[in-house]
Amino acid sequence: MSNRIGVYVCHCGTNIASMVDVKAVAEYAATLPGVALARDYKYMCSDPGQTLIQQDIKEHKLDRIIVSACSPLLHEHTFRNATKQGGINEYFFQMVNIREHDAWVHTDRAKATEKAKDLIRAAVHRVPFHKPLEKKSVPIKSDVLIVGAGIAGIHAALTLANAGKKVYLVEREPTIGGHMAKFDKTFPTLDCAACILTPKMTTVKTHPNITMWTYSDVVKVDGFVGNYKVTVRRNPRYIIEDLCVGCSECVAACVFKEPKFPDEFNLGLGKRKPVYLPFPQATPLVAVIDPETCIQLKTGKCKKTCVEACGDRKAIDFNQKAEMKEIEVGTIILSTGFKVFDAKRIPYYGYGAYSGVYTSLEIERLVNASGPTGGELVLRNGQKPKSVAIVHCVGSRDENTNKYCSRVCCMYSLKLAHLVKERTGADVYNFYIDMRTPGKGFEEFYSKVSGEGVHMIRGKVADVFLENPADKNGRLIVQAEDTLLNIMRKVPVDMVVLGVGLEAQGDANDVRRQFNISCSTEGWFLERHPKLAPVNTFTDGIFLAGCCQGPKDIPDTVAQAGAAAAEALALIDAGSIELEPNTAFVVEQECSGCKTCIPMCPYTAISRNEEKKIAVINEALCKGCGTCVAACPSGAIKQNLFEDDEIFEEINGVLAHV
Amino acid sequence: MADKPTFREEIAGVLHASMGNPLDVCMQCGTCSGTCPVASGGFMDNSPRRIIAMINAGLKERVLKSNTYWYCASCYHCTVRCPRGIDITELMYGLKRYTVWHAKTQEGMIGPVFSETFVKMIVRTGRSYEPVLATSYLFTLGVPEMLQEAQTATSLMLKGRLPLLPARIKRLDNFKKVLKRIIPLGDPDE
Amino acid sequence: MKKYAYFPGCSLEKMAKSYHDSAIETLRRLDVELEELEDWNCSGATAYFHVDELLAYTLGARNLAMAEKQGRDLVAPCSGCYKNMFATRAHLQHEPALADHINFALEADNLKFTGTSAVRHLIEVFVQDVGLAAVKAKVTKPLKDLRVATYYGCQILRPRKDHEDVEQAHFFEDLMAAIGATPVEFSMKLRCCGGALIITNRKAALSLVRNLLQSAAAVKADVIATACPLCQVNLECYQKLVNQEFGTNFNLPVMYFTQLIGLAFGLPPKQLGIGTELVSAEPVICHARSNQKENL
Repeated sequence: MSNRIGVYVCHCGTNIASMVDVKAVAEYAATLPGVALARDYKYMCSDPGQTLIQQDIKEHKLDRIIVSACSPLLHEHTFRNATKQGGINEYFFQMVNIREHDAWVHTDRAKATEKAKDLIRAAVHRVPFHKPLEKKSVPIKSDVLIVGAGIAGIHAALTLANAGKKVYLVEREPTIGGHMAKFDKTFPTLDCAACILTPKMTTVKTHPNITMWTYSDVVKVDGFVGNYKVTVRRNPRYIIEDLCVGCSECVAACVFKEPKFPDEFNLGLGKRKPVYLPFPQATPLVAVIDPETCIQLKTGKCKKTCVEACGDRKAIDFNQKAEMKEIEVGTIILSTGFKVFDAKRIPYYGYGAYSGVYTSLEIERLVNASGPTGGELVLRNGQKPKSVAIVHCVGSRDENTNKYCSRVCCMYSLKLAHLVKERTGADVYNFYIDMRTPGKGFEEFYSKVSGEGVHMIRGKVADVFLENPADKNGRLIVQAEDTLLNIMRKVPVDMVVLGVGLEAQGDANDVRRQFNISCSTEGWFLERHPKLAPVNTFTDGIFLAGCCQGPKDIPDTVAQAGAAAAEALALIDAGSIELEPNTAFVVEQECSGCKTCIPMCPYTAISRNEEKKIAVINEALCKGCGTCVAACPSGAIKQNLFEDDEIFEEINGVLAHV
Repeated sequence: MADKPTFREEIAGVLHASMGNPLDVCMQCGTCSGTCPVASGGFMDNSPRRIIAMINAGLKERVLKSNTYWYCASCYHCTVRCPRGIDITELMYGLKRYTVWHAKTQEGMIGPVFSETFVKMIVRTGRSYEPVLATSYLFTLGVPEMLQEAQTATSLMLKGRLPLLPARIKRLDNFKKVLKRIIPLGDPDE
Repeated sequence: MKKYAYFPGCSLEKMAKSYHDSAIETLRRLDVELEELEDWNCSGATAYFHVDELLAYTLGARNLAMAEKQGRDLVAPCSGCYKNMFATRAHLQHEPALADHINFALEADNLKFTGTSAVRHLIEVFVQDVGLAAVKAKVTKPLKDLRVATYYGCQILRPRKDHEDVEQAHFFEDLMAAIGATPVEFSMKLRCCGGALIITNRKAALSLVRNLLQSAAAVKADVIATACPLCQVNLECYQKLVNQEFGTNFNLPVMYFTQLIGLAFGLPPKQLGIGTELVSAEPVICHARSNQKENL
């Protein structure tokens, strides 16, 4: 088959030309069989460069194009477009990298030039075997699923709902609000968290475009961008949501006269009954019955005073079962949040051993008016502390626990210092390594809190021990080297607050498998690009918002949630998405049905057709990684743009001079 | 011609056995000093953190004048707690060796004399023997301390816990040959 | 019968002979033979590494090579010896060039190091190899209500060997519980006794010893159990000096864990080297005896 190949050798200014003799390479290319013309040019990616390709195709009736320039990652798309504009199939194009693979990594001009010739020759051998591929287009359904209803999920949901899209907001706790609902005041403005959050929560509940499913888990995710089929399990509260008005009469009437079980919302600092409302502003304001502690559910033998108290509303249903809901959405936003570092992993801070040691989140509940002590910051003996130490960097910036900085702890530690001083008048000591207060208004906040007389001691706390070894409930000594004063500090305090860092949720790895995305080494969900694509994932149609992608504060979380909503909207409003055709496909008559390929696919794109007993590849999920192509024992799987003849010819071309 | 190594580089060169991160990554958090039983008790003139800062800043003379590393008890607590993964105990060993090699140990410090006496004894016999070791420090003590030590030693002797005769290994000749292949000892013509 | 190459270390000859005696006796009852490594040399304590690394590794490697010749793992009762030889083996396996240099030297004594002999601490043998169940099975006179402060010290756990948690060990307490004793919450169980500082900076060491004794006394320990001769000497032989220096009046017996195991096995105190202490272990013996009477 005789082709008419056009070869273009780019100078890329001096990037390539300084190390590769581009004119000689173009001259050489012109001598190769099948090459109709060969040019060198200063900047192929420029408008005139692209126009050149288009004109040449028309004038010289070219049927294949090769551009040897930079990395395909940068301009393959550009040149494929130019090829298409010229009137031939865009996949009749091959890019040769003589910059990152040649000019930029070698120092011998003669050898670099020879290498460029080899690489182009390989492309000349290959490109005649390219097939005319077509991009496929997939429609995007307009409904959106948002998993996790903390501030990130709430904000994304409202944005999308206001844009007229139908949103399914799924939350596994019995109430939305996430961690923010637990805070008292937020930095740097000292806004009351509930005051700014609850209006949004109410709007979510009443918004006509939002279907809010709390106490629910995502159990199955199938499908691909634009066309996801998700199964959500609504767990039984044993309360009929539509009938409950949140009056709490059932709680008051419960046969347990006193609350007895650790209260999850208050991190175990308070107690609840088997029937409870998570907190006064819970949304939905509906009770929950815990099957582990409710006598009726465990034994079937209870007076059921709760049912009596509920009266005509008849909202309690002990026979309630889990309900499976199947939904179809086009895009998904994951906003599953974080968990705090388990302070028990650092035993020498005494958490769990000494009663005066708390985590920062526990203190948030103590200072909160809706918390277990009604907002009184008191020790377990009911007394106000006279001196409090706040320890920064617990579990963060540490090779022994988490290497990263958790970003919010310096600010929240300063905030807690302010609140503690305000509520108790105690002496407050913040022990830090570096004070990280970069955001808007943050430095001013640091200054303000310093001005309130909080002692800032630069030294990581080495030990917390009992002042009196025999009294676990007594005062504590916090030991650290004050690195600025160069002295050892052994500060006696009544209370120690550990500034615990943020971590990915415990089931992050399971969740990410469910949704077919990746996690980074520290366990956070992986973004497509840390700077340029922080809310996208490597799976089209799935976006990230909030701390599940990495620790951040509320301003950044809200901004990111808006970004994720925007990305989803961009897809939805475009209506469809084009898929690159460099996907693998199964040659049916050659497939033996051995199932080797199915578990290998990292994107779960391969499934089995039980009727024909062969493997089937979903083009929308396939990312063209080539694993199945290599794995297939029968060689029945091929990949567009990387078929055997294309690859072998390329190899032949490279080795032709040998 | 090669550049003269900076003090930082010299110290980095001394830390062969260290599997930890280089001193440069120290963020000066003070965990090592706060954890160190000796530093936090006030028995070191410079805390371990400060020593690292001084090395990184190239303050050679100040480091050499410090008693910090000779008072390190090798408890390794700093090493396991360092958030940047630096093997600080190994650094202390390295600094001790540095001062011994350069004969820059300070007057009046028991540590260097004790260690050198110990090593000389081993090289001669292969085993340690407390009474010889005692000579390395006994006479630096004041009279009351010397009497106290004598008292403790007597009590131990009465309980049969002090060795009366020095021990030595059997294949001492071979032992000395082994050592000669590692370090030059005595007559090179032997 | 499991056999190990036993590395007593310099102090177990005389200073800590009771550790040696009680270790041999108790392990014999557990069907473990400790055969002393022939012609072992000093492991170096801390002193070698203060002077010369190459020398230190060579002397450690000599012992390891001799154990290898016998085809046995090396067991050290002293934490310092254990740490030195473990680190020597690990480092030489990591640096083959250094190992070659050292093997060139060891040739002069017909030895070669390849790293096939593992290095174990004596307490590991009880806890991991023999197992707590087997230890418990041989107990005839459980040390009921004897409050034991289990003093790990530093160099058994630190530096880390792999990625293990070094701050929450409880195997020593489990071992004491297995012989019927009551391990107490000894908050300073992982803190330093001062080690060689007892010589090179006495004031510092005495201060550390005082803190440890205070911590054990505060939780009403009857005895401190140790697994290292230097810890034992610092905590016990210098108790009188601590009292003089700080005006305290500690009188706390400090015994080797093997002695306590021996008592629980019903072995006579003399066989376990009991009676050579500077702080009398009589209270512990009395406690053990009174238990015996109860058990009758």
